[in-house]
Formats: sequence, C-alpha cells, structure tokens
Amino acid sequence: MDRQQEYVLRTIEERDIRFVRLWFTDILGALKSVAVAPAELEQAFTEGIGFDGSAIEGFTRVYEADMIVQPDASTFQVLPWRGDNPGTARMFADILMPDGTPSMTDPRHVLKRALDAAADDGFTFYTHPEIEFYLFKEPYEPGTAPVPVDQAGYFDHVARGDGHDFRRAAITMLEEMGISVEFSHHEGGPGQNEIDLRYADALSMADNIMTFRTVVREVALQHGALASFMPKPLYGQPGSGMHTHVSLFEGDTNAFYEPSAKYEISQTGRRFAAGVLMHAREICAVTNQWVNSYKRLWGGGEAPAYVCWGHNNRSALLRVPMYSIGKGHSRRLEVRSIDSACNPYLAYSMVLAAGLKGIREGYELPEEAEDDVWSLTEGERRAMGIDPLPQSLGEAVAIMEESELVAETLGEQVFDFFLRNKWQEWSDYRSQVTPFELDRYLVRL
Amino acid sequence: MTGRSTPEVAVADLARAGFTQARRAGSLIAAALDQMDADTDEGALISDLGAVADPNEAALGLVRLVEHDADAARLLSVPGAGRERVLAVLGASSALTDHLVKHPEHLRDAADGSAPQPSAIVEAVHGLSGRAGADALRVAYRRELLRVAVTDLTTQDPLEAVPVAAAALADLAGAAVEAALHVARNDVEDADRCRLSVIGMGKCGGRELNYISDVDVIFLGAPSEGADETEAMRAATTLASAVMRICSQATGEGSLWQVDAALRPEGKQGPLIRSLASHREYYQRWANTWEFQALLKARPIAGDTALAQEWLDIVQPLVWEAGSRDGFVEGVQAMRRRVEQNVPSAEADRQLKLGPGGLRDIEFSVQLLQLVHGRADETLRSGTTLEALAALRDGGYVGREDAAALAESYRLLRALEHRIQLHRMKRSHLMPTSDADLRRLGRSLGERGEAERAVVQRWRSQQREVRRLHERLFYRPLLQAVAKLSPDHLRLSPEAARTRLAALGFRDPAGALRHLEALTSGVSRRATIQRTLLPVMLGWFADGADPDAGLLAFRRISDSLGTTHWYLGMLRDEGTAAQRLARVLSSSRYAVDLLIKSPETVALLGDPHGLAPLPLETLVTRMSAAAQRQQEPADIFQAIRAVRARELVRIVLTDLVGGGEEAEVRAALTALTDAYIGASLEAARRIVEQRRGAELGIELIVIGMGRLGGRELGYTSDADVMYCFRPTPGSATGGDAGADHGEQASEVVTELHKGLAGHGPDPTLELDADLRPEGRSGPLVRSLDSFATYYERWSAGWEAQALLRARVVAGEESLAADYTALIDPLRWPEQGLDQVGLRQMRKLKARMEAERLPRGADPRTHFKLGLGGLTDVEWVVQLMQLQHAATVPGLRTTGTLAALRAAWEADLVNASDAQVLRESWQLASRLRDVGVLWRGRPVDSVPSDLRDAEGMARILGRAPGHGADLAGDWRRQARRARHVVERLFYGQQMPTATTRSYRPTRS
Repeated sequence: MDRQQEYVLRTIEERDIRFVRLWFTDILGALKSVAVAPAELEQAFTEGIGFDGSAIEGFTRVYEADMIVQPDASTFQVLPWRGDNPGTARMFADILMPDGTPSMTDPRHVLKRALDAAADDGFTFYTHPEIEFYLFKEPYEPGTAPVPVDQAGYFDHVARGDGHDFRRAAITMLEEMGISVEFSHHEGGPGQNEIDLRYADALSMADNIMTFRTVVREVALQHGALASFMPKPLYGQPGSGMHTHVSLFEGDTNAFYEPSAKYEISQTGRRFAAGVLMHAREICAVTNQWVNSYKRLWGGGEAPAYVCWGHNNRSALLRVPMYSIGKGHSRRLEVRSIDSACNPYLAYSMVLAAGLKGIREGYELPEEAEDDVWSLTEGERRAMGIDPLPQSLGEAVAIMEESELVAETLGEQVFDFFLRNKWQEWSDYRSQVTPFELDRYLVRL
Repeated sequence: MTGRSTPEVAVADLARAGFTQARRAGSLIAAALDQMDADTDEGALISDLGAVADPNEAALGLVRLVEHDADAARLLSVPGAGRERVLAVLGASSALTDHLVKHPEHLRDAADGSAPQPSAIVEAVHGLSGRAGADALRVAYRRELLRVAVTDLTTQDPLEAVPVAAAALADLAGAAVEAALHVARNDVEDADRCRLSVIGMGKCGGRELNYISDVDVIFLGAPSEGADETEAMRAATTLASAVMRICSQATGEGSLWQVDAALRPEGKQGPLIRSLASHREYYQRWANTWEFQALLKARPIAGDTALAQEWLDIVQPLVWEAGSRDGFVEGVQAMRRRVEQNVPSAEADRQLKLGPGGLRDIEFSVQLLQLVHGRADETLRSGTTLEALAALRDGGYVGREDAAALAESYRLLRALEHRIQLHRMKRSHLMPTSDADLRRLGRSLGERGEAERAVVQRWRSQQREVRRLHERLFYRPLLQAVAKLSPDHLRLSPEAARTRLAALGFRDPAGALRHLEALTSGVSRRATIQRTLLPVMLGWFADGADPDAGLLAFRRISDSLGTTHWYLGMLRDEGTAAQRLARVLSSSRYAVDLLIKSPETVALLGDPHGLAPLPLETLVTRMSAAAQRQQEPADIFQAIRAVRARELVRIVLTDLVGGGEEAEVRAALTALTDAYIGASLEAARRIVEQRRGAELGIELIVIGMGRLGGRELGYTSDADVMYCFRPTPGSATGGDAGADHGEQASEVVTELHKGLAGHGPDPTLELDADLRPEGRSGPLVRSLDSFATYYERWSAGWEAQALLRARVVAGEESLAADYTALIDPLRWPEQGLDQVGLRQMRKLKARMEAERLPRGADPRTHFKLGLGGLTDVEWVVQLMQLQHAATVPGLRTTGTLAALRAAWEADLVNASDAQVLRESWQLASRLRDVGVLWRGRPVDSVPSDLRDAEGMARILGRAPGHGADLAGDWRRQARRARHVVERLFYGQQMPTATTRSYRPTRS
C-alpha cells in the first residue's frame, strides 16, 4: 500500500464515499465503468478485480483467462455531479492479465508503451487539446435534424446564452476534478463550443479527455441540453475537431525550441513534424476513426484535409502556431486532423510514434505551404507534393492495413481488432440508403 | 650512525632463509645493517625476514625505512614481536610500506600490535575542513588500516582471521565515512538545515569488507527541526555529494575508495537523497527482488542514528515480505542466471569473485536462502555471509557438512582476495599469474616449500568443492527433509521444504515432496544412487518450463528402469546424460509419453552417438533386418515399429537437447517415415506372397504427397500417399491375369494399412490416401495405365497442383521412374498456366479460406489454414511452380523452401517478399512442432493458455517469462506474409501503393 493509495482510502472514509467507479476505455474510446464498494478497494489496489474482458469491445481474449482491473490511485477524484453525502468517486484503472502483466488490448497500456519508447529516447510527451463539441436541445428526436441551443458564431457573446452558463458550470466542474482549463469560447457553428485544457503529459491528458467528455455530457444534461462530440453533426456547419498542441521535453528543456531557427523550431521539432506528415495518411483511421469523421475532413471550411504544414496557415494539417520571442517553453506543433470523437489514448500514441520515427530516421520536413490549400487546384497541389488525407473511412482503413508503424505502435492484437471493427463499420455504412440519395434520386430516376 | 664496515652476508644463508634473489637481498640487508644499531643480530634479522611472505620486498622496505628515519632504525634493531609485526607488513604490502616511509611516526602503531581504533579517525578530523580535513582523514585511516593488516598478517590461522579482519575493515570504512561527514559539515554552508544518515550496504553493511573496495551506501536525509523541507533536502544532497567526494578524490595523501550510492532507490537515475516516505513508497511498490536482497545487508554506519533507525523500521519488514511478492520466483531465477553467466571469459579461470562457485555465487546463494526462509525464521536475519551460513546450518536449512565445507571455501577465497589486494591496495579479484606474486600469496597463507604451486593447488581443490554449491545449498537439504536416514538431527522441516520448492518454481511443492520421498526412501542401491543424483537433477528440473512434470516423469521412468543394470549407472557416470534427461522431462510431454512407452530408449542419452539421427539407408537396413527375423504378420510389423519408436525418440531428444537445426528435424522425420513405409511395404508383400504361396506379379509403389512428398514432416503430420502398380514386365497380362494383378495390389495395400494401424510403442502413422484421383470414391490402388488415362482428362494446368509435391517414397525403382516421367510434364507444364487455370486456382483458394478453417478457429492465429499461414505460403510457391517450372529448373522440386529459393534466384519474387514468406512458413512449422513437443498433442493455433505459450517459447530457446510474446510474434509474421500472399497470389494491389506520392526524403 503506498501513500497515494492510503490517501485514497482515508479520503473515502472522511468524505463518506459509498461507491468508487473504476474507469477504463475500450479500443474505440468508449468509457467503461465498474463500481466497487470502498471495502473492496484495498484488494483492488493490491490484486485488482477480476472481470470477463470478452464482453468489452476489443478486449478479445487471446489467452483464456479473466482480466483484471487495477485502479491507479493517482487518478482518484470525487465526482462532483454525483453530489455529496454519500458521494461517488472515480479512478482510472489499468487492465492486466491474470499473471499481472499489462493487457496488450488496454488502450491505456498502448499509450504507456508509446510513452516508454519516447522515454527511452529521453523524451516526455506533452499535449494540449482544444476540444470542440456541439450543444443541442434535449431531447433529440431520431430521424430529425438536431436543433442547436443557439444560433451564435465564433467568439460571440450570447446574451442569456445557455451556452455561457453551461461553459461556466462545466469549467467549474472540470476544475473541481483537477483538470485545468486554459480557455473557452463559443465556436463557429450554432451551439458549438470549444474548451481548451491546460497542457499535461499525454497519459494524464488522455485520462482528462475521457473525464472531460463525461463532465461535459453531465453538465449539458443539467442544463437541459445534449452535448455531442460527433465530428460533423450538421451539414454546412463546422465540424468538431480536437486540435492538439504537442511538444517533447528532454528533462526540463523543450526539445522543439531552438531560438535561432526559423519559427524557433529545432531540428528535432522539424523531424517530428515530418514524421507526423509522412505517416498522416496511415494513422488517419486512428485520429479520425468514424465514418462521420470524413464528413468533417472533406466538409470544407478550415478542415485539414491535405497533408501539409504551415506557420499561420489555418488549412494545414500541421501548424506551427504563433510564438512570442523567448518563450521557449511553449514551443509546440499543432496537429489539426484529430477529431473530438477519437480514442485519445490511441490517437496520441500514433501521433507520438509517427513523430518519433521522424526523429529517429531523420526525416526532412517538406516545404511549408503558405496558401490556403483548399483554394489550390488539384494540379497545383500535386505539383507541390501535397497529398490528400483518405477520402473515407474505407480508404483510411485500407491504408492503415499496410502500415508497420501502426501495427507496431498499437500492438498486433489492437491493430487486428481495430481493422476488423472499422471494416465492419465501413461495410455497414456502405449499405445504407441515405436521405441525400432519396432527395436526389427518388423522384428524378 | 654506527661505524662498522659493510658486513658480508652469506648468500647461502639467505637462500636457505627463503630469499629468491639472495645476492641482491644480501646487499640490501647489508645496507640496512649499516644504518641500524651496531649490535644488531644479523642472524636473527635474516631469520625474521625469512619468515615473512616476501623476504626480498621486506628487505627492500627495511632499507628504505632505516635510511629514512633514525628512529625506525633504532626500533627495528631490536628483535622481538614488534619487529616481526613490522616486517610482516613490509613483506606483504608494498602500499603500506610506502605509507610507513612517508609516515614513519606510524611505525610504533604497527610494532605495538594494538587493536585498531576506528574512533581515532573521527577524532583526527575534529574541526578540520576542506583539503586539510581530507588529508587528515587519509592519514588517520591508513594508520588504523596498518593496525588491521598487522593483526591479520601475524595471526596464527590466516583463514580464521578472515572474518575478524573483514569486520575491522568495515568498521574503519564506517568511521572514515563518519569523519568525511564531519569534514563535509564544516565545508557545506547550510549543513545544519538537515539531518543526514549513511547506511552501509553490501560488504560494508555486512561487516565483511575487503582491504580495498567500493563502499556501497545509501544516504538518508531529513530536515532539522524547524527547517524547510525542500531546502533541507537540497542541503542534504550537497552534503552527501561532499562526503562522496571527500572519500574518493585524490589528494597529496592519495585517496581512500569510491563511495558508491548506486543501490539507492532507482539506482543511479534516482535522486541521491529522498525522504523516508519516498523510500517507503519505493520499496513497497517498485523495488525488485534483488533490491530486497541488497537490503539484507543494510547497517547504519555514520550520521544521524535516529534517522537511520526510522528507515530500518520501514524497510526491514519489507525485506522479509519479499518472498511473498509477485514475481519473487522469477526474480530469484533471473538472479541465479545472472550470477552464473556474468563472467568475462578471458579471466574466467582466474576469477575469485564471479562465476559459478565464486565469492559472489556463495554470497548470493546464502542471501537467497535467507530471503526464502527468513520470513518464518528470525534467526536467519544476519547481514554477514558466514554468520548467515552458520544460522542456516543451525536451523537445518543447509546440511552440517555442506555448511562447513562452504564456510571453509568462502574463507579461503576471501583470504586469497585479501592478500592479493593488500599487496598494492589495488582492487582485484583475479589470481595472479607471475611466480613471484603467487609465491608471496602462498607464503602469506602459511605455505612454505613450493609456495607458488601449493597455493594454486589449494585453490583448485576448493573450486571442485564449491562447484556443486547450489546442489549443496538448495537441493540436498530437500532430500534430507524426506529421507529419514539422515543422521543429522537438524533437518529441513517439511514446511520449509515446501517453501523452498515453491521458491525454486515448483507449482505443487507437496506433490514434489512426495515424489522425492518415493524416489529416495529405503536402503536399495537405487534409492542410494538417486539420493546423490537428485540434488543436482532438481536444479535442472527447476530450470525447465514444468519442473513438476519433470520430477513426476523421472519418478515414473525410474520406477520402470531402476532395476536395470545400466540406467542409474548411466545417469551417475555419463556426464551430461542426467542433465539432458532432466531437461527433456521438464520441457516436453511428447518426449515423456514416448519415453514412458519405451523406457529403454533413455539409453540414447548415455550413448555418445545417440543423438545423431541415422541416415535413410541404415534405417531401411535395420527395419528390414528386424522384420526378417519374424514370421507372424503381427510380429513382423511389431518389429518394424519398435525400430521406428526408438528412432523417433532419437529425433525428439536431438531436437530438445542436441542443438540441431529445425530443418534437420523435418528431414529426419521424413527419412524415418520413408524407411518405415518402405519396410512395411516390403513386409506386406512378403505376407501376401506367403499367404498366396507364390511370388507376386506386380510392381507397387507408394507415392508421398503433401508434406511427406516435400520432405517436410512434423511430429504429427499425416502421411498423404497414393498407390500405383503395374504388372512385372514379362508376367502374364490380359483377362484374368489383369484382374488378379489389381487384386494383388489391393491385398498388399490392405495388409500395409492393417500393419501400420496396429498398436505399438510409437504413435500410429496414418496413411491418408484421400488425395488420389477421384478422392475417396476412386479406387485405392491404380495401375500406371489408369493414372495415365485419368491425367489425360485434365485440361487446365491447375489440377496438377497436388502433383507438385508427389515423390515416390517406396517400391520398385523402375515403376517409380515411369510414374515420375508420367507426371513431370503435367506438373511442370511447358506452356505454364493459362488465365483460366490461374482464375480457377484463385477461386479455389478463396473458397478454401472461407470454408476449410475449423469451427471456432481464429484465422489470425491458425498456423496452417490461417491468414499468412502454411497453406498461404505453399500456394504462392506452387503457383509459381506451375507457371515457371518448365523454364526454371530449380523450381522442379517438391520442397517448399527449395522452390521458394529457386523462385527468388530466378527473380520471380523479390528478396524481401521471399524472406517474409520463408520466415512465416518456418515459424508456423516450428510452432506446430514445439506445440506437439510441449503438449504431447497437435497445437494448431497460438495457444490460448499462457503456460502453454511459455512452455513452447522455452523449447524455442527463449528466455523464461516471454511466452506471452508468442501471440504477437506470430500475428506480426502472419500479417506480413498475408500482405505478400495477397499481392503475389491474388495479384491484388493495395490502394496505397498507387495513390501515395507524398514521400519526404530522408537526409
């Protein structure tokens, strides 16, 4: 029993907590939860709690044995929306095999392995996501278009806006759960909001994002609204991305920072960027994992559908954000392809692995794209060597299937499950007859 | 000085006294006498010098001392114990001689033989700081070191003195660290903000230090009362660094030794100082087994004692719980392997410290037993090796005689090490090589005549003694626990025996104990021999993947063979036989099954040529000869099968312990099967001829298909065959005769199947004829003409695919040649394969992929029919053979790998694709074989049980604990192979291959 675990047990006692939820994430990024009584917690810390993993998406049992969830005491938080007396708390949990080794199918373990690989090279990986989502009126009627809670736009201040109250409540609750919020504002679409989380190491951040989604949904419900992280819920309106600022640190030094270099980006940073670009198409099925994700990428606006980078280019997949001279600590790259409905553990694993490969193998960063790539012609883009991201989930999965990088990073079992699941999703979607087709063809043909 | 003329010293006297360079020594002594009192007794001086380890060096030292210092000259002129003490130092340590020359004021400390006073070192630095402090520390330390050396060198029994000297040295080191801390506190500005405590680890902690060695420590820091924690920890870190520097840096007075803090939590990566709470957390959560082993020796040596005590209260209970932590058994086994492997080979035969039976091995082994048994028995908790060994003996954990022998060995090794280091105060654990060094070493341990040889002899005989260290320490006591015969009253209790067996990796310690009891109880010759064998064999069982199964199988085999005249003798006398048997039994259920059915084949392990598979001709001869000696049909086949059983065991044993290549296993299994079918066919003909009373008028061949045809058999592969006959040239044909020929052939084949299906000591070989024309609905045997007619009906080339692997394995050569001539143009068609044929093949394969996989099997993990598995690779190769064999002669082979190689050489497939396909095929084949070896029955997929995976991985030669990797390894290999298959077989282009143009260049 370490000090952190003792602290958890003591807090549970002092705050009269009756249930502790152990959270973990399936391969597609859905949050799973098992509740344990405080009395069982001590055992959970030392030995873990057995469960049948075959019921969880992607936790197919390679070895015939039950799996074990073991809570990570450092992630203990009381859930504010469950009220006090008696309260409810949660911890993230790792999935283990019966012999105590980590399960290869646990996304949290996939990210830990990727972070270990970075640590072997002397790096720690920090991320800072800007999470976009929509608020719709409750209840949502299936078969009809969802109705946004407001009709405002980018940075608009909404008088008596529900969104405003909502954001204040959501941020308060996030802060109560130990998640620092950097920034929040109304986004471009009606009912669309953005909340930026303060940067943290990638594992804590992935945990935070899982918590964030839950908190936002809970608070929305309290305000009579439905929060959705669907990448593209409304035709003709901006999609919800999760632009993520990433940086590598060597000890206390930002490895992307080089004061004398262009944009103050070091060679390490340039190679990392080259790696992310080089492998952007392979990892696209992970960073943009749903059929709907490709509606966002190809829906125009500022969506980063082309593999290129720029300094102040809001259409580029990878952006080197504005910088203030001498603030070396905050030198970073912004990956703009990731969407809000990704599995953050897997998406961050892939971005990190692609970047590290760029560093290890010394990739050269291609030339910067200065124009809005959407306004270029097909021919111009080809001449400039700018590739498109996959057009659809189907294409993305086909490309990923060929990728050693993704297979190595996710591990063979997650890789295989993910492919099969996504092929299935693609084939389910392909067989649909959509309202678009009915509107366009039914009468005319 | 005293004015006497240079005296002549008789060279002969000197030689007799033990001087090797008598002439030079003579002049040295003369020079010394020149400076000494006039009435110095020359004879007594020479005799005193002759008594020390190295008289020549002592003489030289004497001259240096007396020439340098008149006081010394006066002191050394007087014979007696004082002079003897000084001369002993001069003759054993040139480093301490140098010290005496530099500090003649210490001469009296050496001469008076007083006990060392560690506290004097601390007093010497009182109020000092910086360089002055460091210098004073060094001088004071050496003065005490001198005293330790004097006592050590003038003691009656150098071996008995080892623990005394070692403890004194540890106390000096502790005092020196304490003194360094005093100096550092005067040096460091905010030193008073923190409390600092130094814990001695390793030999220093165990009070068994060498003359010169790194001093292992852990620093503990805490804020002084009222001080800020962060600042205090910073101050403590500075202070600790200063202590390390003060001890290790070289000043005008030299340096002491390195202070090594690498045993702290997280090792060199961890902070030098961390809080007690952080220590607690680390040892509770993160520490490895070896770190607890290291903590066995923790002892506060300097600084704040209250702080040290607090720390001890935290960590000591954890040490004794280490035995019950997850991964303890694995940790212990890993540590044992490290000790045994960790020797630089160049110095292996001079090592005192590393390697099996070396000092570290003894220390580690004793510590392991402490960790295993110390939890229940508090008397075992000593930090000192010899004390712990004595406690283990008194508790019955180690036999009395074994403990005595080990203690003796340990003392000798340490004494050698001490004397080697004392000479130049250099850290060394190697036996010297020069005669002069060996001579000094021998004489210092009391040898006189031929000292250089005697000391080496003594050391070598000790090495023989400890070579069986693990046997003595770990296993022999287990037998004493069950054997009621032991005269020793102190026996390992059954409870302790179970604890120890569990720590050694036995999953069912109670069962193991029962087997041991059954194997060793009684007064029979068998029980007596097994009592001596088992301690060693237990160690080998424990190294296997399934120790319990190994021990049980050993018991069963011994039960059936124990009364034979050769079995126990072989295990006892044949060098590696017992070790190989233990390895085989604890790693392969298949081998155990075979050995239990025909136990006498164990003899192969004792036969120097037993593990070389026999060539085909020899096999055929042996089987035929065995068959010839029998008359009854059942006996004939029984005789053939007995030969096969023995050869199968040979192949299995070679595979498991003979270090053969995996391809050799497949070739050997194929040769054995060829011979077996050949001999059986011959026997079947003979039986039919006997029954008919006439010679048969037909030629009959057996055609091997599939893996048999390809010479790629595994342990449980079926033999796919076809039968073809024709009338013997010249015999009657047509009409009744023709019909009779067909009947003859059927009779022979029926007899053959009957013979092979009978029970025998070997696993049955199924002859599967389903690949014959028209499959199961076609006749079992066909004439050559009938084959020709059937083949003529084929149109597209793909039907001949199965014939690519057809190889005649038995029967008349003339018919074999004609059959081969018939099929060669079919399977290697001149025009290759047309589009229709290609499409047919692809369709057929696609349908097979959908249908053939057994229910519930996962296509990702099935070795044969799964994606990227054996069938996938073979179809790619066979497609290329159908297309190109007419033009590429290398493709005209039945072997998959041979054809793949030929295709690569002919540029039909690129090198990397060929490699991926080959590796996948080899891995699948090998996994199937090791699956059979481990489980005793076929394993078609990556096993779903972790223990199965572990057992298979171990047969593959992987390090223990990596079984879970098998699944990932196979999936990766198969995934890559599948990509190649889709490209080469289905001609499929992945979308990426064409659309990806973005390729950043690499610098």
